[in-house]
Amino acid sequence: MTQLATPLDELNLNRADLFEQGQAHDVFRYLREHQPVHWNREGKRNVGFWNITKYEDVMFISRNPELFISSKDIGSAYPKDESEFDPETDDRGKHLIKMDPPRHVRVRRLVNKGFTPRAVNALEPHIREITNHILDDIEHKERTDFVLDVASQLPLAVICEMMGVPRKDWPYMFQLTNKVLGAADSEYQTDVPDEIRGTPEGAQETARQGMREMRQYFAAQLADRKGERKDDLLSLLVDSEDKGETLTDDEILWFAFLLIVAGNETTRNAISGGLHVLSEHPEQRKKLQDDMSLLPSAVEEILRWVSPVMHMARVATDDVEIRGTRIKKGERVVMWYPSVNRDEDIFADPYTFNITRDPNDHLAFGIGEHFCLGAGFARLELKVMFEELFRRFPDIQVDGEPERLRSNFIGGVKHLPVKLR
Amino acid sequence: MRVFVDPDLCEGHSKCEKSAPAVFEVRDDDLSYVLLDPVPEEHREGVERAVRVCPRGAIAMTEDNE
Ligand code: HEM
Ligand code: SF4
Repeated sequence: MTQLATPLDELNLNRADLFEQGQAHDVFRYLREHQPVHWNREGKRNVGFWNITKYEDVMFISRNPELFISSKDIGSAYPKDESEFDPETDDRGKHLIKMDPPRHVRVRRLVNKGFTPRAVNALEPHIREITNHILDDIEHKERTDFVLDVASQLPLAVICEMMGVPRKDWPYMFQLTNKVLGAADSEYQTDVPDEIRGTPEGAQETARQGMREMRQYFAAQLADRKGERKDDLLSLLVDSEDKGETLTDDEILWFAFLLIVAGNETTRNAISGGLHVLSEHPEQRKKLQDDMSLLPSAVEEILRWVSPVMHMARVATDDVEIRGTRIKKGERVVMWYPSVNRDEDIFADPYTFNITRDPNDHLAFGIGEHFCLGAGFARLELKVMFEELFRRFPDIQVDGEPERLRSNFIGGVKHLPVKLR
Repeated sequence: MRVFVDPDLCEGHSKCEKSAPAVFEVRDDDLSYVLLDPVPEEHREGVERAVRVCPRGAIAMTEDNE
């Protein structure tokens, strides 16, 4: 069976390079078998945490949002010294993904109308049109960077249009989301002094810059909508009301921030990861291209396989036992989605990529209270993109190795060279 | 058994309808409605699956003797 180079008590998943080299699945497989609730030693600056790698345990945690809260941040890294949080960019408790019930339930009801399956599916013709514009731009080319020219463009366009961001600002939004979620990768640390480039300080400063600039940007947009409403989500949020409750300006700004980041950095990687995994499994790809009615099920398998969001963390509000291990009040648990989506107890042949897998109850979008608000958008974007891509470029081939993002949070691909015909 | 959908949580993902079509119906308001009360025993498996897969954890079951 699998062996690990690192002893279990030394094993540290709070390390971006583990994932950059794509070794993580061996580690997860080992943990599921030997220590599914594993104590991750503390770092110099960060507290220790529990690595949770089994499906049922992630279900249990996600289904109990009062026992396992999100308002103490959702990433694996959490500073020992709380004074490290910078007041201006500290978003704990400020937007949905870092909010707990009962407030979470209320705020989610104020914003979710535009995200239900029916609302999203009504946008299909428009999303198809956007997709074709993106593909028009590469029509004349032989080769291209699939991430930059295709996969990142669709989620960016969809989310920016939804928010009412003018077209000229889309590249700027792209740059800012890269800074926020790709901060640990030196490629995106473009505006920090050379001495700290590539260090944890460089990452922290890059993420903060991205957050600050995005908040400023949306503050100006919001002021504009308050003067005059437009046909966009920002305007809707200004007037949003449910059972007498409304959103404050601060809540709207943070929600806009969350949407731009969550909507871009995830779907992009599902699209790139999808093309990559289909290319690695030519018989599955042929099966799909011969019968595109298999696409909805193929999309679910792509999501399971790629698991673009790698983890979400919670903090226990009471002592609790998971799989016989005692978690103490105040301790952090980190749920690893790529691991649970290959859990041998749930999925038959979990390491087989099977576009007709049924059932396929993957947790790529999480589950429960914080279940991905944008899941309908993500699914639709993936479906339309592969329909149009394979219609127009049926012979598209991956033409080189994907360049992965340095991150233990987003399973990302930065660049993927392809040959279009 | 009796089955309830919490309208504050449900967002119309329709997994319930797929698991137990005789029990749940998702209507134009993107909310799931329970069609049978009580729900006959023959639908137990479908309902249990619906409870498990509902992305929002919006479905609750109670037993007749509760
Ligand atoms: C393939 C693409 C995507 C994946 C894999 C993904 C994954 C996730 C996951 C795992 C969560 C759960 C967080 C938790 O349990 O703590 C989440 C939440 C969320 N996602 Fe997504 N997401 C994707 C696309 C999107 C898109 C396109 C949008 C916006 C249009 C979006 C907006 C959100 C929001 C707002 C939340 C917070 C919901 C809440 O806390 O109530 N996501 N997503
Ligand atoms: S699966 Fe859950 S959220 Fe979806 S319609 Fe049914 S009850 Fe509502």
